[in-house]
Amino acid sequence: MKNNDVKTLAKGSDKAVDMVLKLLKEKLSKYNVRISRAVANNLIVDVSRRHLRDVAKIVHNELGAYVRTCVGCDERNKNGCFAVYHIFGLDDYGVNVIVRTLAPANDVKVPSIADIAPGADWCELEFRDLLGINVTGRPVYRLILPEDWPDDLHPLRKDVPYGVRPPPVKREEVTLTELESPGIPVGPYHPALHEPEYFELYVEGETIIDVRYRGFHIHRGIEKLGESKLTYKQIPFIAERICGICGFCHSTCYVMAVEKAAKIEVPERAEFIRAIVLEIERIHSHLLWLGVACHLLGYDAGFMHTWRIREAIMKLAEYLTGSRKTYGINIIGGVRKDINKEKIQNVLKTLDHIEREVKELLDMMLSVPEVKRRLTGTGILTRGEARKLSVVGPVARASGLNRDVRKDYPYLAYKYVSFKVPVYTEGDNLSRTLVRVEEIFESISIIRQLLDRLPSGDIKVEKYEIEPDKVSTASVEAPRGEDIHFLITGKGRPYRWKVRAPTYQNIPALRPMLREQMLADAPITIASIDPCFSCTDRVIVIETRNGKVVSVKRINIVKLSRRRWPQNEVSKALRSS
Amino acid sequence: MSKVNIDSAVKALRKSIWVFHLNSGSCNGCDIEVLDALTPFFDVERFGIKLVASPRHADVMLFTGPVTREVLPKVIKALRAMPRPRMVLAIGSCAVGGGIWYDSYSVIGGFPKLKKILMEEGIIIDRVAFVPGCPARPEAIIYGILVLLGVMKPKSKKEVVTIE
Amino acid sequence: MKFLKLFVVAKKAGTVTRKYPFEEPLITEEFRGEIKIDPEKCVGCGACTLICPPSALTMRDEGNVRLIRYFVGRCIFCGMCAEVCPTNAITITKEFELATLDIDDLLRDLLHKRVKCRICGRPFLTTKLIKYANKDIPGSDNYADVCPECRSKLSIKNILKYRGDLDV
Repeated sequence: MKNNDVKTLAKGSDKAVDMVLKLLKEKLSKYNVRISRAVANNLIVDVSRRHLRDVAKIVHNELGAYVRTCVGCDERNKNGCFAVYHIFGLDDYGVNVIVRTLAPANDVKVPSIADIAPGADWCELEFRDLLGINVTGRPVYRLILPEDWPDDLHPLRKDVPYGVRPPPVKREEVTLTELESPGIPVGPYHPALHEPEYFELYVEGETIIDVRYRGFHIHRGIEKLGESKLTYKQIPFIAERICGICGFCHSTCYVMAVEKAAKIEVPERAEFIRAIVLEIERIHSHLLWLGVACHLLGYDAGFMHTWRIREAIMKLAEYLTGSRKTYGINIIGGVRKDINKEKIQNVLKTLDHIEREVKELLDMMLSVPEVKRRLTGTGILTRGEARKLSVVGPVARASGLNRDVRKDYPYLAYKYVSFKVPVYTEGDNLSRTLVRVEEIFESISIIRQLLDRLPSGDIKVEKYEIEPDKVSTASVEAPRGEDIHFLITGKGRPYRWKVRAPTYQNIPALRPMLREQMLADAPITIASIDPCFSCTDRVIVIETRNGKVVSVKRINIVKLSRRRWPQNEVSKALRSS
Repeated sequence: MSKVNIDSAVKALRKSIWVFHLNSGSCNGCDIEVLDALTPFFDVERFGIKLVASPRHADVMLFTGPVTREVLPKVIKALRAMPRPRMVLAIGSCAVGGGIWYDSYSVIGGFPKLKKILMEEGIIIDRVAFVPGCPARPEAIIYGILVLLGVMKPKSKKEVVTIE
Repeated sequence: MKFLKLFVVAKKAGTVTRKYPFEEPLITEEFRGEIKIDPEKCVGCGACTLICPPSALTMRDEGNVRLIRYFVGRCIFCGMCAEVCPTNAITITKEFELATLDIDDLLRDLLHKRVKCRICGRPFLTTKLIKYANKDIPGSDNYADVCPECRSKLSIKNILKYRGDLDV
């Protein structure tokens, strides 16, 4: 939907929301829907279960929206139903279209939209696990909860206490013994992995033909704690510890969602300080990733030097906020720590020093023959596949999609600075590396511009009131991609709080990326999406010989292979064994 | 192993210990600080400490994370594979006290609760040191290792003050 | 051959290692370490225990004392307790060398004596909190050492006496 008005439109403004409202009324006129405005740039479309798939098809395919996330909520004490919210984002307008369906408590099921919008695949399994809302029309399996958790206890329902400890349930082991080759177990504790994940690889020569995966080792029940034990003021601290590397993005996203819902006017100085610390976190995360990537390629000198430079950023972060990581300066209504003139001088001096060193180091590092050859041409993700899966972050930008939350859904002080969004079209590992390298230099320039224009004034708002029953979303460009939080306010604490981290959207993209890959290239390809499993808590699906997604049970693998590809090598191998 | 044997074993290991890093569900904050300790600014390799690939080669296990329910049987397996004397350094507020989510449905509650479960399974941990912090600084981790090995005396002591 | 520039980069960087513990650690002036509660200033109100996200500061009333316990092991070093304390009794130090072999060494307890109600004899609040709450309120000495249930009964009795409805 491009016309001349869209190009000059201020994204996310009231005018943009009105334009989208008119568009939706036109397109959805023959379905019985009710369209209403929620907080800020969000529109809610209430639709019955019967028409859910048609509406999703129009919004996703015809209007060109991207899937952002979907949320299940237990609203039985409000209207006797379970609600499912599918959140689509229109990048051109900067507006979110939230499609809401209700399922009554005695008939708890909704139709699946995973074949229309593959980006929503895992969200549906998630609300099936945690809330017990059944999804019809697709294969289902357990995703999040531990293996020994009973089947009928759903933690996020309002009548289940947050500290419930059911006794373990024994399940029989699913083993893939019918295939000829033995399984190679990798993990959960393995030198190449920093987090516990479990893979069982079935290989033929150097190519992987089958995999069994069990994830979600890091599921800690954060959303349930936020809805039942902690209050509004305490949640920024738990949100920051969702991930130790991109934690400040999560805490900023949460406070922004609450401030939008309660219409709190945050002082401009606080917005600038938040943006500065976000960019500092981005530089730190990209330098960390470069070090880890070099280490995986076998170039340890690169690892040591990149982390040597990164130490200056950690010290800077501690100087500005009080802690090397998990800064703890975000509160609802502003920030807790201020920046004075002396700190600004020190920041600028450190940035000059870092910029010089990074330029020299990366110039040299990307010309090392082993690094260049291993990164070029491996792990290709085409533009069509990236669009279908709604990937986010550097993975999307390296495959030709110009998506960046700082430009599409502007927030904080980014509207006062000018910066470039690097986009490459090849979609291989080298493009993803170059996108991140360029983003480091762009971040340094953004911090300089922000410090130049820092306005004076307060850094926080003391008095505010949060009304219940408001639906709000907020999103932030984390180093790994777009991070989105969904919030329904309640009394004293949120009624429903959902976090969708960027790696969650990017992991399905591993399937086409690992197609026809050699075993040796798999680690760097997996690392190139910058996976952060503690943000994600999701199942990683590995590749088969044809690079397809395999699910946990073998029966599903065979069914999937038979359904999708005429040349079924897996079942041929089965028949011959 | 009697107490006398443990102390002499620890003394013999003092020159260069091999560590294994075990993440039982942490947010990665303490884990990147553990990796940071290997990088040039802090450089634990000057003490002879190196990261190994299997618990069977390890002298000390660097334990992070609040022990989630899913990871519990796997952690027990990994700790059973360590040879005696088993020494554990519990790093971060998650491992020492369960962290900010110590009473959630999916979390066991940190290393002290895990130690009770291990006693029931018959796995004896010879020595544990606790390093608080969120995340624990690399310097605090180095101090923790030195306390575990008996090179430095711990500074923290229980305090009880009564007010009228 | 550009990759040989690594030697130039390495030589320029030199040796950056801080030989902790024989040299000073890299701490800045803003660092948040362990907190210290000043026993002179603390009144036992419990505001810090309400805000603490991981419940590292807990308050429990047992018998004649109110116990305020600080468990360093679960502390996340956020500093919110220092911001909400009404008497500024909490200071944030720069102590990070907190490793111990015994987990009980990480507990810091503060025991406040509780005042017994003049009428029913049950302990209810700490001495210092009563003094703090009543210091700017004139005429409150009558109710200062009476527990909430007895206080409501006493004030109704006094109102009735004042109105002349009760012959006492």
